[in-house]
Amino acid sequence: MRLGALLDAASAQAIGFAWLSEAVAPAGSYGQSRFSAIEPFTPGEEEAACSRAARIARIAAAFDAGRLQSVYELAARVPDAGAAVARASMGDLLDDASLFEVQRFFDACTRLDVLTADCADVPRTVNAAVVACAGALEAGRAGSSGFYLADGFDPSLGQARTALAHAQAEYDAAQGRARAAVAQALDREVSLPEFIVMRADLDGPLPPGVRVVRETPAYFLCELDADEAALGAMRRRDDAAANVARVEEAVRERLSATIRAHASALDDAMRAFGEADVLVAAARFASAHRCTVAQIVNDGPVVFEAGRYLPLALELERQGRAYTPIDLRLDGSAVVTGPNMGGKSACLRACGFIALCAAFGLPVPALRAQLPLFAEIGWLGIGADRDPEGSLLSSFAREVVRLRDLQAVAASPRLILLDEFARTTNPREGKALLVAVLEWLRAEHACALAATHLAGVAQAAGAQHYAVRGLRGIPQRPATEDLPLALETLAASMDYTLEEVGGDGARGADAIALASLLGIDARVIDAAYRALEQ
Amino acid sequence: MPIGLRARVGESILALWQQSFARSLFVVGTGKNVGKTVTMRAIYRACIDAGIGCALASIGRDGEAYDVTGETAKPRYRLEPATIVATACGVIPRSPASEVLALTSYETAAGVIAYLRVRGAGLYELVGPPSAYALRGVVDDLLALAPRVLVDGAVDRIAALAGGNDAIVVACGAASAPTLGEAVDDVRALVARLNVARFTGEEESLAVDGALTATMTAELIRAGERRTIVVRDPTQIALSGKAALRAFERLRIRCVRPLRVIAATVATIGPERAFEPRAFADAVARATGLPTFDVYTAERAA
Repeated sequence: MRLGALLDAASAQAIGFAWLSEAVAPAGSYGQSRFSAIEPFTPGEEEAACSRAARIARIAAAFDAGRLQSVYELAARVPDAGAAVARASMGDLLDDASLFEVQRFFDACTRLDVLTADCADVPRTVNAAVVACAGALEAGRAGSSGFYLADGFDPSLGQARTALAHAQAEYDAAQGRARAAVAQALDREVSLPEFIVMRADLDGPLPPGVRVVRETPAYFLCELDADEAALGAMRRRDDAAANVARVEEAVRERLSATIRAHASALDDAMRAFGEADVLVAAARFASAHRCTVAQIVNDGPVVFEAGRYLPLALELERQGRAYTPIDLRLDGSAVVTGPNMGGKSACLRACGFIALCAAFGLPVPALRAQLPLFAEIGWLGIGADRDPEGSLLSSFAREVVRLRDLQAVAASPRLILLDEFARTTNPREGKALLVAVLEWLRAEHACALAATHLAGVAQAAGAQHYAVRGLRGIPQRPATEDLPLALETLAASMDYTLEEVGGDGARGADAIALASLLGIDARVIDAAYRALEQ
Repeated sequence: MPIGLRARVGESILALWQQSFARSLFVVGTGKNVGKTVTMRAIYRACIDAGIGCALASIGRDGEAYDVTGETAKPRYRLEPATIVATACGVIPRSPASEVLALTSYETAAGVIAYLRVRGAGLYELVGPPSAYALRGVVDDLLALAPRVLVDGAVDRIAALAGGNDAIVVACGAASAPTLGEAVDDVRALVARLNVARFTGEEESLAVDGALTATMTAELIRAGERRTIVVRDPTQIALSGKAALRAFERLRIRCVRPLRVIAATVATIGPERAFEPRAFADAVARATGLPTFDVYTAERAA
């Protein structure tokens, strides 16, 4: 999948583009070729995006996990016959390995069509060209999956091979007689093409039929000296072998010509196979992650219910921890507040990830969703602080430079996700800057979601305000300094539910409780609480 | 001078192979042009004569029409119908046609490695996969296609022996050393290395994680190491020639997974020199303690 103009590299990294790309990657070479050309749908292509997602969802619904896996594995095993077909189309004579690959591709097409016969959404791959070429190669089927230029391709091939077998037998007999005679005379085994005879073993001269290649005081290096009969048999054998080679090449020429004649339609079959692979890979993704088809609208808010940021959800699942899906209605700009480690960033990422899936015509990880196609999804703040201009920029300056770059792009509509923007500068000025950015984005008709610890931003910017519920109480500090245990304790105490709150409604960051839980010295914690009370 | 014993070399090595209970056999050499291919041919012929199904493979470059390093002509193998062979697509003879059984993902400069069944007797070049790991994969695949697998090995690629359950034949010849004595030292060092005994676990030991290099060995000798040095398998001993012989004299080296060298062969004729056949074979037999065969004289060292 290509990013196109939808995302820059930093934003792609922040919302999990690479993860998604890997999760929906097709298994085989045809699919990968098709996949590498996929670009996001752009505003105006809502119907096409929706239609593609619906098609993927229907495939996911039509097949159980076992069948999806079977198709996926079939696609992974199919050889790439594209090069062979291309060579044939340019007049090349295909060798047997290439014919084997082409035949295996035809077999895979047949198998794919059988596996997906009851789902019209998977493209059919067996077309008239596949049928014609597979028929032409059928005589070469050997064993379960081998290919051999068998006698069945041409009656003269069998005759030529029979003649060669006779000529070879005649030559072998002639050579065997000569070898046996020498072996008998020397009373030993004779290796070919050369053998050594020790002078000490000889009572007289070397036996007839032996030619000396080299001699030393101790031995002769010899080879068999063919007589007229053996030379004649060898000539007849060579002629017969040349005839077999000629007929075999004629068969290859015929088979290559058949493939050449159907090359264009075979390309269609390969493209269809690739498309099937891409669709089935996406259906596996949709099925495995319980994705649904989003309603893609021309204009309007981003709305989703039980939305998930899959990379995090799966990581938590791997650790045996629960992920709390979120509900969101983003109409213009909104602010997300809540405690540290309460899931504000995950909320932004879920929003971006769902928009990303929709942009690529994929079902989205949510129970229900409605959103427009964005021309750009931008990420600002934590997770996008790669230094674009050397190490002289502070983290605040890097954020500002990114903001400048985002402002320079005239894409519409756009979704801008701001994760604690301006967190590293003076809070008063940081808040003013964030409010101004949200007002600018609203004027640009962008959708914007900003996570922040700064109080009063939503009210000042006239934005919606969402808050993570946060800690249910002050969690008990674990007896040991075990960090994973502390995180587990935190997770058990945290309510990650996101809810819209009225007005400013700012909640505490629970930062001191979190610091205590993660093992900060109790004296420091007590001092912090005292300072807070003052 | 001891008189050599008449022997049917291929049959004799095949019998030793069968006694070893290994299904795969590697022919490795002390250098280039030391008779590996001639030895392979003799064993292959014995398999054919005994009606034993056989598959052939090669390490790296061996079997190409011209030896890449030496530019000397390398004989190809005349293979009989029903033989299974692993070689690169680019060197599959166009005629007589072979049955293509599978194409692997192992890439070589001559194309991917293919598995073929010989349908009409013909001359084949063996081009092997580029890595030891890939060769092990090829051998495993071939063992599913044929009862026995014969591998044309190479002196510098014994890593392919790691992790396998192979019998080994060591080929040595006049081409690899200027004098008979040095050629014998070379084969003695190689066999000593390949035949390192299994570590029984009864004595105090120092396990080497990875390769036992010349530098490491020199340090151990300097430090007067008395413990048994334990490597994973003999391919982890990165020593050859005199350095290897000295290491085996001064250190007690053992391995967790020993290999099985079953025989040696000698090729007394090289492009630049020739050794007296019986003296060479006899010296190799005494130095290695292995049944030693001269494939050119059809003799076994006494």
